[in-house]
Amino acid sequence: MSGGRPSLFLLDAPVTSKRPAARGMFVISMRAPEIARAVRAGQFVNLGWAGGPLLRRPFSVYRAEDDEIEVVLKSVGAGTEQLLAMKHGGVVSCLGPLGRGFDLKGKSAVLISGGLGVAPMPLAARDAKAAGLRVTWVHGARTAAELCAESAGDEVVWATDDGSKGFHGTAVAAAADADVVLACGPNRMLAAVAERWPEAQVAVETYMGCGTGVCLGCAVPLKRGGYDRACKEGPVYRAADIDWSALPSHLSYAVTA
Amino acid sequence: MAVAVGGLELRGPVLAASGTFGYGTEVPLLERRALGAMVSKGIFLRPRAGTPPPRIAETPSGMLNAIGLQGPGADALVRDYAPRWAEWDFPVLVNINGESASEYGELTARLDGVPGIAGFEINISCPNVEQGGLYFGNDPRAAAAVTEAVRRRTKLPVWVKLTPMVSDIGVIARAVESAGADALCAINTFVGMSIDLNAYKPRLSFRTGGLSGPAIRPLAVHLAHQAARAVRIPVVGIGGIACADDALEFLVAGCTAVQVGTATFVNPKAIAEVHDGIAAFLEARGFATLAELPRYLPRD
Repeated sequence: MSGGRPSLFLLDAPVTSKRPAARGMFVISMRAPEIARAVRAGQFVNLGWAGGPLLRRPFSVYRAEDDEIEVVLKSVGAGTEQLLAMKHGGVVSCLGPLGRGFDLKGKSAVLISGGLGVAPMPLAARDAKAAGLRVTWVHGARTAAELCAESAGDEVVWATDDGSKGFHGTAVAAAADADVVLACGPNRMLAAVAERWPEAQVAVETYMGCGTGVCLGCAVPLKRGGYDRACKEGPVYRAADIDWSALPSHLSYAVTA
Repeated sequence: MAVAVGGLELRGPVLAASGTFGYGTEVPLLERRALGAMVSKGIFLRPRAGTPPPRIAETPSGMLNAIGLQGPGADALVRDYAPRWAEWDFPVLVNINGESASEYGELTARLDGVPGIAGFEINISCPNVEQGGLYFGNDPRAAAAVTEAVRRRTKLPVWVKLTPMVSDIGVIARAVESAGADALCAINTFVGMSIDLNAYKPRLSFRTGGLSGPAIRPLAVHLAHQAARAVRIPVVGIGGIACADDALEFLVAGCTAVQVGTATFVNPKAIAEVHDGIAAFLEARGFATLAELPRYLPRD
């Protein structure tokens, strides 16, 4: 009940716009003033809507500006399908901001994203620049069509598995070192990040129940043994702290799906 | 709206269900005034890591969970949480677990008399542990043995949380009543399974999980009613309650109070809405107190 923290809000947020960002990938904006002001890079919101699935769905905050927040999503099931079908003015119940975000200290940052792993990056670029870091965003996907067309930061590097745009190979291979390494994408990709940069900050994806720390459904296996909660101690982790072999990589709505 | 339940005087009939509220210390946007009592996350004597992920899966109008009673153990609970509970204006019951009747007894002895702990909810119905749990809940002799082991170690209220995974819940209800339980909580989750059609295997690493949420509510109302018919001690209804009407179904069906669980995950204000909705219902129907609510409870 230390609750009472004024940093968490439950808002009815009207959808204000939707735009495509890549093949099957869309950015949805909604009006959530208190959350837009409070959110920090790497934090997420838990969204629910009338007639939707029972549990809320967690989304990294993609951008926050003035009174609006944005999330990025793909249709991966009935829930996201409903959210994408929502019309201008449709109301989304928005709980957030939740979780622990990125820690931005240093002179340079490299942001590494794979597929839908773009989700926390524009906000990370904003906050990193505000903290005085030079920001390079390495943007990866399987093909050019699946590559999110939007970017932010001082420099952008594109990478595709099939070579159809930019660097021919993975975003991890295309990235240069920096003081701060931030990554988000499929758990397999994050495991590769952990190999190369144990100190990287990675935003992991798990199934999630409550989003607020009480259900223990979003367990993340730790190298030192045991689990903690993606929604509370995470979703941003020091890459070397996670037991990658025990973290499921086959989520049915996995970011690569 | 005050109610007496199994040795505790509660200011309201809506309680937070075990496993959906943690230890009450980090529940967001909580309106404490609405809370009759809280039942803590289930605890074992010793720390437990819990099951590997994936631990949850959504199902139609419900969810499966196999958390595996992850918890810090009794010593940490006494050190970190009980002192805070002692300052709260509602009672906290500890949901207790063990792999044997004697371990339940040992845990009770460790927790009995600790300021902040107002009573015990014996969990003989967790489907997500390898040893104990459900095993004690579907055998009337084992259920009674665990209840007696706890009863002998404490004078605090002892409630017993029953499993729905039985052919006649009345038999178990009577067995634990005879063994000294002050109240029953009905019901815990149903055992379920869901298959990932991409991986061709169960969606939960534990293979099975406990089904909760609105999907189980009619089943839960029936089982809570069957338990209430079988005993003289109060029954606390649990299972898929998301709004006041859901809670009122359990109350009319013979329950003295209710616990709200999964709904809290979806709606952090669920407990306050259920509480306020019951009060509004009573007023609209002209009942001065909850005790005046008509009950449908023909005795066995």
